[in-house]
Amino acid sequence: MSPVKIWRNQKHFVKLIGKTGSIISWTMIRVPPDGFSQQAPYPLAVVRLDGGVQITAQIVDWEEKELKTNQKVTTVIRRTIDAAADGVIPYGIKVKPI
Amino acid sequence: MNITVAGVGMTKFGELWAASPRCLAGIAVSAAIKDSKIEKKSIQGIFVANMLSGMLGMQGHLGALFAEELGLSGVPAYTVEGACASGGLAVHAGVMSILSGQYETVCVLGVEKMTDHKPELVSSALMGAGSNEERLAGATFPGLYAILARSHMEKYGTTEQQLASVAVKNHFHASLNPLAQFTHPITTEQVLRSSCVADPLKLLDCSPVTDGAAAIILTKQQKASGVHIVASQIATDSLGLAGRKSLTELASTKRASEKAFIQAGVERKSIDLAEVHDCFTIAEILAIEDMGFGKKGEVGKLIEQGAYTLGTAERIVVNSSGGLKGCGHPIGATGVKQIVEITNQLRGVCGKRQVKNARVGLAHNVGGSGATAVVHILRK
Amino acid sequence: MIGIVSYGTYIPKYRVHTEDIASAWKKNPAEIIAALGVKEKTVPGVDEDAVTISLEAALQSLSCFKGKPSAIEALFVGSESHPYAVNPTSTIIGELLGVGTSYLASDLEFACKAGTAGVQMIAGLLSAKQIKYGMAIGSDTAQSKPHDALEYTSASAGSAFLMGSESVAVSLLSYTSYSSDTPDFWRRDGIRYPSHAGRFTGEPAYFAHVMGAAAKLFEKSKLQPKDFDYCVFHMPNGKFPREVARRLGFTSGQLAPSLTVDHIGNPYSASSMMGLSAVLDVVSPNKKICMISYGSGAGSDAFVWKTTTKLQALQKKRKNLHGLVSQQIENKTYVDYLGYLKQTHKL
Repeated sequence: MSPVKIWRNQKHFVKLIGKTGSIISWTMIRVPPDGFSQQAPYPLAVVRLDGGVQITAQIVDWEEKELKTNQKVTTVIRRTIDAAADGVIPYGIKVKPI
Repeated sequence: MNITVAGVGMTKFGELWAASPRCLAGIAVSAAIKDSKIEKKSIQGIFVANMLSGMLGMQGHLGALFAEELGLSGVPAYTVEGACASGGLAVHAGVMSILSGQYETVCVLGVEKMTDHKPELVSSALMGAGSNEERLAGATFPGLYAILARSHMEKYGTTEQQLASVAVKNHFHASLNPLAQFTHPITTEQVLRSSCVADPLKLLDCSPVTDGAAAIILTKQQKASGVHIVASQIATDSLGLAGRKSLTELASTKRASEKAFIQAGVERKSIDLAEVHDCFTIAEILAIEDMGFGKKGEVGKLIEQGAYTLGTAERIVVNSSGGLKGCGHPIGATGVKQIVEITNQLRGVCGKRQVKNARVGLAHNVGGSGATAVVHILRK
Repeated sequence: MIGIVSYGTYIPKYRVHTEDIASAWKKNPAEIIAALGVKEKTVPGVDEDAVTISLEAALQSLSCFKGKPSAIEALFVGSESHPYAVNPTSTIIGELLGVGTSYLASDLEFACKAGTAGVQMIAGLLSAKQIKYGMAIGSDTAQSKPHDALEYTSASAGSAFLMGSESVAVSLLSYTSYSSDTPDFWRRDGIRYPSHAGRFTGEPAYFAHVMGAAAKLFEKSKLQPKDFDYCVFHMPNGKFPREVARRLGFTSGQLAPSLTVDHIGNPYSASSMMGLSAVLDVVSPNKKICMISYGSGAGSDAFVWKTTTKLQALQKKRKNLHGLVSQQIENKTYVDYLGYLKQTHKL
C-alpha cells in the first residue's frame, strides 16, 4: 500500500480511536481477499458508534457468544492488510467486544 | 422514451480459458449486428461496459480498443464503469446518446474476463466496488451481502433454506438456457451443504466467476413489431454499507425502480418478467421486495413455495436466464445480457424457458453492495 | 519531586500452556514447568505488534491523566520487536495519541531494559526542567526460535509510565544504572530469532548486573532491603527473580505482588515495568519499592520509588476501566500450539 495513502488514512482513523458502539450486523469471512489470509477466518461487522457514525470493521479478541447483533464493542488499533516485506505497515481501526 | 432494441447477441458465459476479451467482444457484437439486420457501418457510437480490465489486466482505454477490434476505428467509443452495474450504466449511456439527438444507432457492449487471475486477486479487485474502509477491514462481497442477509434474517425470519431456494430456482432456469454457465439443476440440500464463504452465505449462495460478453444495438428508428426501451433510470446510495440508513433494503433499487415505473407509465403488476441482480441469493430477495414485486420480509417464503419460477409463478417470473447465479456474472457484461434476455423473451424466442405472453420486462442491475442501481423497462 | 503521574498496562487476551509447547516437542511438561516456573504465557493477536501494544498501554495511562496528550514533551518506546529497523515506533504512538509535533521522540533498544532506560532519560529531562511531562513505554511481542528454551517464556505485553513533576502518584527518589559488554543474549540485524549463550545468561549476566546495580543503588540511596516495602526485578523466568531477591536479602513477601511472570511469562521490555505496575495496583501510599531491570548485552537500571496518596485515585480509575494488571491477567483465552505458531507468524 502506498505510504502516502497510509499517511493520509491515518489522519481519518485517529478520530475513531477509543470509541464505543454496538454491532448492527456481522459475518465471518472464511474466504479472505488478498492480503488477509494470515488473519482468516475473521468476523467482520457494521458497527454503530455512540454518536451515530457507522463503520465497517473486523472484530478482534472475540468469543463465540460475543458475535451477535447489539454486542457492545470498543475501537482499537491493529495491523490491517498485509504489508510487503519491505513496505510501510498499515494500521487501522478494528473493534473488540466489551 | 422509446428506443428500439434492434439486435442482441451474447457469448456463452463460463470459464472460457481460450477466449480473450477481443474474441468475446467479436462474438457478441457480430451476433448482435446479424440479429439487427442493420449494416455495421451505421453504428455511430460504442459504449463499453467493463470493470476489471484496468485493475487486473493493466488495460484501460477500452473504447478505442474495441472500436478498432470490431473494425469500427474512428467511431466514438468509451468505457462506462459502475462496478457490477457497468452494463446497465452503459445501456443508459447508449439510450441517452440517442435521446440527445446526436446519434441514431449505437452499440452497447459489456465484456469481462475474470478467469485469467487467481481467485484471491479477483476477490480483492472486486472490492474496488466498495469503500476503502471496507477494503482495509478485509471485507469481500460475499461478506458484505452476508451482513445484509443476517440483518434480513434477524428482522424478518428469512431462513437459510429460503436463501437456498433462490439458487435452486436460478440453476433450474439456467438449465434451460444453452448459454448459461451452469447447465444442471441443483437441490436445496446441495446449497446448504456447500462450504461457508461468509456466514450465513455458502458457496452456492454466491454467483460465480465468469467470462463473457453481451451486446445490443440500439436505434432511434421505430419498428412496429420491435422491442423498445421505455425507461432507463439510475440511483446511487452510499459507497460503503456503513453509510446506509437501513441494512434490510437497497434504497438505490427502490429509487431507481420507482422512477422507472413513472417514466415508463407502467404499473408493477404489468411486469411479466424481471432480470434482477442476484449476485448473492439474498440480493434477489432484496431486489424483488425493494421493487415492490413482493411484500418486505415475505419473499423468501414465496420463492421457497415456487413463486417467481418458470412453470409455477403466479405472475412475474424472475431471472428466466438463470440470473447472475445460474447464468454467470461477467461483471461488465451482466447488465447488457439482462437486456438481451428480456428482448428475446419479449420476442417469444426463448424456447423451453419462454415466459408466456411476455409483453413488458424489467432489468435491474446493481453496483457494489447497492451504491448504484440501474433499472430498465422494455416493452413489445 | 519527579515521578510517575499515571501508568497504563496492556496484556493481550491470548495464552498458550507451557504443557502444549512441551508436548509438541515431546518434552516432559512437568520438568519444564518445574525448571522455569512458568505455566502459561501471553500470545499476541495475529494483528498485534509492539506498536499496537504500546498504544494500548499509552492510551490507558492517558485515560487516568487529567491533562491533554499535547502536554507530553518526550516519548520513548523501548522494545526488542520494533516493527521497523528504521522508522520510529515512538512517532507512530505520538501521532495516534494526539501528542502533536512539539516533542522529543526516540526508539530505544537494550534487550529487556529498553523501557526502563527511557524512564531514566525522562527523569533527567524532568529534573532539568526541560520538559513538564514525558512518557516511557516498554513493549514487546517477543520472538523465540521454535524448540528453543526461550519458547516457553517469550511473551507479549506493554507498560507505559507517564512521568512529570506535579501530582506525582509514585515519586522517584533515586536511580542508577550498571552497564557492561556481556554477550549473553543477542539478535543480529536481519536475523529473525534471538540467540543466547545458555547457562552464561545466569551468573555472569543476569545476577552480576542486577546485584551490581542493587549495590550501587543501596549505596547511593543509603537504603537496605529491609528499608523497602516491596521489590521488583526483571523476570526472564519464575526462578531468577526469586533467587536474586533471596540473595539480596529481600523476603518472598516483599517480592510476591510483582511476580507477573507466573501468569504471563516474560514480555521482554515490559517485564519489570509490568511488575512494578502490578505492585502499584495494590499498595498503599508511602511505600518504598526497589525496582531493578535487566537487559542482555548487558545492564541493569535500578530505581527507588515511593508511593504517594495520589496513587489511590489511579488505582480506583484503573479498576473501573478493568485495567488493573490482575484484571488483565484474568481476561484470557487459550490457544493451542498451532494457534500460537499462527499468531506469532511462524506459520
